[in-house]
Amino acid sequence: MKSLILKDLFNIGHNVKSMMFILVVLAFAFIPFSGAEGYIFICTILCSMMIVTTFAFDDHSKWTRYAMIMPISKKELVGGKFVILVIFCAIGSLVGLIGSFIGGLIMKKIVLDPAGVGRLLFLTLVAWVFSLIFGSMSIPLVFKFGAEKARVLLLVSFLIPAGICCGIYQILSMLGIVMTDRTVFILLCCSPVLAVIWAYVMYRISCHVFEKQEV
Amino acid sequence: MDAILDVQNLTKHYKDFTLDHVSFSIPQGTIMGLIGENGAGKSTTINAIFDLIHKDEGIVTFWGQELSSSKQLKEDIGVVFDGINFYETLTPVKVGKIAGAAYQQWDRQLFQDYLRRFRLPLDKEIKSLSKGMKMKLCIAVALSHKPKLLIMDEATSGLDPVMRDDILDVFLDFVQDENHSILMSSHITTDLEKIADFITFIHQGKVLFCKTKDELRYKYGIIHCGTAMFDQIDKDDILAFRKDDYQWNILVSDKDSARRKYKNAVVDSASIDDILLLYVKGEQGK
Repeated sequence: MKSLILKDLFNIGHNVKSMMFILVVLAFAFIPFSGAEGYIFICTILCSMMIVTTFAFDDHSKWTRYAMIMPISKKELVGGKFVILVIFCAIGSLVGLIGSFIGGLIMKKIVLDPAGVGRLLFLTLVAWVFSLIFGSMSIPLVFKFGAEKARVLLLVSFLIPAGICCGIYQILSMLGIVMTDRTVFILLCCSPVLAVIWAYVMYRISCHVFEKQEV
Repeated sequence: MDAILDVQNLTKHYKDFTLDHVSFSIPQGTIMGLIGENGAGKSTTINAIFDLIHKDEGIVTFWGQELSSSKQLKEDIGVVFDGINFYETLTPVKVGKIAGAAYQQWDRQLFQDYLRRFRLPLDKEIKSLSKGMKMKLCIAVALSHKPKLLIMDEATSGLDPVMRDDILDVFLDFVQDENHSILMSSHITTDLEKIADFITFIHQGKVLFCKTKDELRYKYGIIHCGTAMFDQIDKDDILAFRKDDYQWNILVSDKDSARRKYKNAVVDSASIDDILLLYVKGEQGK
């Protein structure tokens, strides 16, 4: 597992400078108009999308085939991708938090009080949760369809969880359950647990898909 | 001798190709060459040996155990494919760290010794290394976790003769330890003539023969003759034959016997290349 994580971190490390440049540009483009909060989400989701890039690197070097002759099981290989996703989401949300904090202060978009800082921290956690959910969806899809279809799969991996959320919202509306701010807040507080459960389900699906594959 | 790798009836069906009941075994302390034309089934065999593809039939055991039964087995097997399997922006040092984290038996000092011996730059990205250097890096990785069996799939293809000779020396060093063995797939038969003890010939998905190299070199022969002589040759003696512009070339399994039997014919020794060519491009005897 450690080997797989190191490999992905080394591989993606080469793209860090360009990613940081993009995030800085986006900070100037988004924070003045959309506020610091949206920037946290953009950073986290962009970083979580790098998981698909790691698959592209693996494809390019035929790594998966090689990994399977090392003392690494198929489950470990799949698990490694989820650990990397968690790391990417964490890095993205941290960069987003720092960037939005600094950018928000400079551009006077946030107030430096406990409530303002608490709000940013809470949104950072929510952004991490959302990107973990989206990223987790992309992993089984890439295992199934390959990294060359990454762009389409990224779109699908965002649409499916969004579709499920809309579906649940519609069902709740039909049952007469009204989503108040308090309900939404409670749901967001529970979301890390939901995200972990979702990631685990996606891990099991990925294992199932990968187990059947020839590499 | 105990078999390090035993392959029995390995079968894999594809739409347009079948690996058909391939069997061979590698005794301890030997080098086995796997030869055959492109598309003969050498890589499919190696992929099936490692369960990289689902085999339809057959059993593969390493030291008597199936690969899926023990993760430890993979510690004792070093593999080199025909290209490097690390991303091009990595450096040899980073490759060492990745492989070192995967193998419990990884010897960091040994890896650095190999890097020095192969004159590989520590911090140069893989993409800027020559093909020979990339291959040497793969070999350094494969040997640095102290395997007992080295499996290579076309590892020397595309390398110049000097580089190939360097690499063959490394393999000969490796088998100095009598517990070590090598399975080497290649269509460069001269490399195998230099180092192999056994040759397994795969043609159109089937094993045509698995023999010692010495038997092929010292017993096999090629009869060169005209059509009249060809008609007189006992068809039971013919393994394969092919007609050139002016003569027939006939592969026989016992050149001394052929010399005694067909006194008017020219009988030469057969190189592995000759044998491969006659089987692949010629017609097989009865």
